[in-house]
Amino acid sequence: MGKGRYLLKRLLYIVFVFFIISILMFFIYKSMPGDPVDAMLGSLKTTMRPDAYQDLYNRTAERLGVNEPLPVQYIKWIASMLTGNFGYSTQYQRQVIDVIGAPMLNTILLNVFTMVVVFVISIPLGIVTAVRKNGVFDKTVQVVTIIGYSLPSFIIALLAIFAFAVKIPLFPISGVRSAGADAGGLQGMLDMVWHMTLPVLVMSVSGIGGITRYVRASMIDVLRMDYIKTARAKGLREKTVIYVHAFRNALIPIVTITTWWIIGLFGGSVVIESVFLWNGLGKMLIDGLMNRDFSIVLTMQMFYVLLSLAGNVLMDIAYTIVDPRVRLEN
Amino acid sequence: MANKKKRAPRRSTMSKAAQRMVMGGMPQEEEEILQSPMRMALQSFLHDKIAMAGIFCFVIIFLCCVILPFFYPIDLYYQDVTQANVAPGFGMLKVPSAMQGNAQDISVGSTFSVGLDKDGNVYEWGTLPNDRLRDIPSQEETGKLVMVSAGLDHVVAANEDGEVFTWGNNRMGLEQIPMELRSGGNKIKQLEAGYQVSLALTEDGEMYNWGSAYLLNISYPDGVQGNIEKFAQSTNIVMALTKDGEIYPLTTSTGSAYVNVPEDIQGDVVDFDLSDESGAAVTSDGRVHTWGNNVHNTLTVPEEIQGHVVSVSGGRYHFTAILDDGSVASWGDNTHGQASAPALGTAAAEVDAGYYANYCIDEDGNVTSWGLDGYLMGTDDLGRDLFRRLLAGGRMTMTVGAISVVISTIIGILVGGISGYKGGKVDNLLMRLTEIVSSIPFLPFCIILSSILGNSISETERIILIMVILGVLSWPGIARLVRGSVLAEREQEFVTAAKSLGVKEFGIIFRHIVPNIITVIIVNATLDFATCMLTESSLSFIGFGVAEPNATWGNMLNGAQNGQVIANYWWRWVFPSVVLGLCTISINCIGDGLRDAIDPKSKER
Repeated sequence: MGKGRYLLKRLLYIVFVFFIISILMFFIYKSMPGDPVDAMLGSLKTTMRPDAYQDLYNRTAERLGVNEPLPVQYIKWIASMLTGNFGYSTQYQRQVIDVIGAPMLNTILLNVFTMVVVFVISIPLGIVTAVRKNGVFDKTVQVVTIIGYSLPSFIIALLAIFAFAVKIPLFPISGVRSAGADAGGLQGMLDMVWHMTLPVLVMSVSGIGGITRYVRASMIDVLRMDYIKTARAKGLREKTVIYVHAFRNALIPIVTITTWWIIGLFGGSVVIESVFLWNGLGKMLIDGLMNRDFSIVLTMQMFYVLLSLAGNVLMDIAYTIVDPRVRLEN
Repeated sequence: MANKKKRAPRRSTMSKAAQRMVMGGMPQEEEEILQSPMRMALQSFLHDKIAMAGIFCFVIIFLCCVILPFFYPIDLYYQDVTQANVAPGFGMLKVPSAMQGNAQDISVGSTFSVGLDKDGNVYEWGTLPNDRLRDIPSQEETGKLVMVSAGLDHVVAANEDGEVFTWGNNRMGLEQIPMELRSGGNKIKQLEAGYQVSLALTEDGEMYNWGSAYLLNISYPDGVQGNIEKFAQSTNIVMALTKDGEIYPLTTSTGSAYVNVPEDIQGDVVDFDLSDESGAAVTSDGRVHTWGNNVHNTLTVPEEIQGHVVSVSGGRYHFTAILDDGSVASWGDNTHGQASAPALGTAAAEVDAGYYANYCIDEDGNVTSWGLDGYLMGTDDLGRDLFRRLLAGGRMTMTVGAISVVISTIIGILVGGISGYKGGKVDNLLMRLTEIVSSIPFLPFCIILSSILGNSISETERIILIMVILGVLSWPGIARLVRGSVLAEREQEFVTAAKSLGVKEFGIIFRHIVPNIITVIIVNATLDFATCMLTESSLSFIGFGVAEPNATWGNMLNGAQNGQVIANYWWRWVFPSVVLGLCTISINCIGDGLRDAIDPKSKER
């Protein structure tokens, strides 16, 4: 079976899972108590005359299509979803597509920065601790990392806020950019990076803890292999042995775990975004839930599902890149 | 083997000697050969210092959360604004030694007390809710003070000449002492600082009130002013006892049980006081009559003191009475020991009960105190004791974690076992299902489910819902693990033997194979327990998990989400964080240790 065919199969499978989850989500939403039309019209109910309100109510219900049978509603919804029409946000009184751009960018920025920080720190750290196994440095890192990945992110967030925003006011407590700051270009970028430091720091801590331990474990496994002895016997430099021969082979289990971690990162940033009032997808999801804004929540959920499904495929592809022995078959 | 050898030199001589004594000098290598794999795993686990420390730590936290709530019961619905944001610490009852044998007057304030000795010196102790309370006026300014009273966050005092002074909180008109009381000349009979209000009574029965009138709405019925013998106040109401022995509520609102003073005692009352929800009056025959709402049993007067009561004093939810033999008795709420009156050596002269504490001055001027001495971990913004909430929260967090793990492990074993043993189409189907569940983004989905389904249900149902959500979403990991192990075990001889004996498939999977892989399951369940606790805490932290008034470690931190709280009220987030952190760290250490012990290969790492 060729690579292309395998990927096609995977893709079909993803589409299948996507639909299953979307059906599931849709019906959960529809079983939600509360009338979306009332929620959309909000306070008009008390201010308008009853008959005029009823008229408006009917028209809005018509427009939202809430009176049709559920399967029809689902098909309409998923069809418009797939054509990029994510529905109308009752909370922002605008199309979802129009309000989702900035938060998505914010979340992606936050997560990408975190990933970069985590990989830059944890991979070298994992390799070094594996090479100097059981040394003092290794032991210290072991203890620190177990603390790092055990502590819940919000506790790290509270500690970070206390240390770097309250006691030593280096960074802002919350927000994406300074109030009133309108500056574009470099100034605006710097302002955002300044606001991003604490959330990124907090999200990195647990990531570094987990990934370092995995890199270390898988490096230790690999370093015991016979081909490493062979490489050393050939007289290769230790650096070449570790970084070329050993690390590449250690990458396979690392790829698995990092994929799951990245998916979890996007989901987990919900908590961090709510602590730091980071205007990202997670905060939008929570706001949407608070305001019973179905369209936003559904869109968010489908985004998260798509992300994790895509992550699975990327993981498969990454396997073939790091390990030529892996054939993409069943 | 190689590893064992490496470890051997690290053992202390003590343990080696002990071992030699037990083993009778048997060579160590031989002893190892005799061990079963299970015992070897246990041995190496017991030697893992980090894992042992983890077990120790977790067991302590666990026992605390299970046992201590019996000694520190919690009323989840209790809240009291007067006790909000009290810093951790004790010493609220620590009467200054200079006052002993020389005490003139003592008064209980919200979280502090103020005392006066016979020389007119003022003392304050406890946790001061307001920094202005430190500005005690000097004696040159005030003259010799004879009367003092503490309120929520202010103090009023009067000197020999009837001049009234106040310090502490000065907002809401608390500083605007009526002119008649400022100049002196009126003999002050009674003086009280209350909840944002101050009250004074002169010898000629005239009452004055100043401060916030908003909460109490004091109004004097006709003919009461000028005829008042005594008054009593709580956060809800002020009542007055006239010289004719009748009690009048000084309010225009009627209808609550609180204002319904029993008719048959009117005209016969010699002393009375109010708690927050009820009143108690002493009649001339020495009996106590109570009315109002029976919150914390404040209406249940002990039968043995009836007929002997001389005077009565009320705290927030308790009463303390002086009896005719000079002893004291308390009843009502005993959460902080405020209703456990001690036996006195000498006869009591005066008792002041207020909020959650009591002071008793005896005839020699010595002070005895009982009641709330302080909060071990402070209180939160609703005045709830953090220590008690931490214990209750621990119980809740662990229960939710444990039940979720049980649910997810059962589903995982079922799915993994069937899938691994059956293989083929069933395996394929179940594994696709596993994949679908595991590709659902965990935290967002939990948030969504709990907010949608948990909307219109009771608190208990909501807790069960959270457990089920966590359990139902976190089984894929354990299912995969079980499937892998079952695949390996399936081809073993004992399975073939069981098959040939005609054991049913279900029996083979769950009675023959699963017991063989139970160690792997236990390790995974341990680590899952930590994860579930974390997830529950995260959910409660952002407000989508277990809701108030139920406590969990996560929702206790929910209120600490702003910089104000983080900076000023450190105890509100440090204690829950530390306990939750310690708990998850130790569970992870235990899980790691277990894994190392079971899988000898991983110990090489």
